[in-house]
Amino acid sequence: MKRFDCLKALAELLDPKAIVITNVGPICREWNALRPSDANLLQVNLGLCAAVGLGVAVSLPHRQVVMLDGDGNLLLNLASLADLANQNLQNVLHIVLDNESYEGGGGLKSATAGKADLATIARGAGIEKASIATNVDEFRSAARAGLTNAGHYFIVAKVEKGSVSKLPTLTIDGKEGKYRFARYIETTENVQILRPRYTHI
Amino acid sequence: MEAAAIDAVVDGLKQAGVDFISLMPDSDFSLLQERVANDPHFTYVPVSNEAIGVGVCAGAWLSGKRPALLVPTSGLLVAAWPLTSLCMAWGLPMLLLIPYRGDIGDAFWLMGPYKDTTEPLLKVLNAPYSVISRNEEISQAIVDAQGSTISWQRPVAVLLTGETIK
Repeated sequence: MKRFDCLKALAELLDPKAIVITNVGPICREWNALRPSDANLLQVNLGLCAAVGLGVAVSLPHRQVVMLDGDGNLLLNLASLADLANQNLQNVLHIVLDNESYEGGGGLKSATAGKADLATIARGAGIEKASIATNVDEFRSAARAGLTNAGHYFIVAKVEKGSVSKLPTLTIDGKEGKYRFARYIETTENVQILRPRYTHI
Repeated sequence: MEAAAIDAVVDGLKQAGVDFISLMPDSDFSLLQERVANDPHFTYVPVSNEAIGVGVCAGAWLSGKRPALLVPTSGLLVAAWPLTSLCMAWGLPMLLLIPYRGDIGDAFWLMGPYKDTTEPLLKVLNAPYSVISRNEEISQAIVDAQGSTISWQRPVAVLLTGETIK
């Protein structure tokens, strides 16, 4: 199964207002090509996608929050799964695009190429709705369930290494991504986030 | 921590508009942690390591909350990774409250190394800080740190020492 085909299936199912948080690496470039939006928070550094997603999902419980994670990315900070589970979130679809390697870091094998099973680990952390998808139909079905039902869904999509050719270059850095996302939340949630002068004092 | 210090911290957090707290359970802040966990004013997200806490607070701030992260002294070293890869790289605010174990007067040998790491680490992380040793100074220090971290969009820390963590 190709990662890009999974992401394409997800993009077709997704509400335009759904918040999507991605790790850094090929996943964010593919997702940006499929759904360019200020509702995306792209390029969250290694090990932190689930943690940032936890903060967003707890803060905006009425919004759908999707995390697009990688196997190496999640393995670096597995305790995030336990902390996510303990919040009993009803608005989370956490997808791990598991290519069993550190593709963005040169392609060496990750622990899921060996004995580690992230769906079993997630269930052990307390995330009951954890599943594995090995083809696009299974992935689409699992993603649809996660997007249409309240709850905390976790999907491990077993994908091949390799991306697609001719992806648009991602031209924004974290600072610009921060401003775009914060302004989007300000507009859609009627809150003020960015303050050149914090006048609360 | 004594009751007066805990009251001052909670008062300062509320005055500063903080409505979201993440923390790694820690002996020095245990009574404070119980207090904020049971106060409905705060959205409370305990975490299993301080790096997750930085990520959680970053996500909360980007979603319109006013977070604070309570960081055990040694945990600042764990938090250093996302304080660099998120806060420094993206320009994100982060209000940090840190018990300053290992400061002069701390008699426990195992805390000694943190005198060498805590302040230098905050400096290289581009995170200004106040060192507060008197209970009466706590609340205003938190309010000031909150104003600065949001305005400057970089982490600002309050290090609690002396009578504030007795």
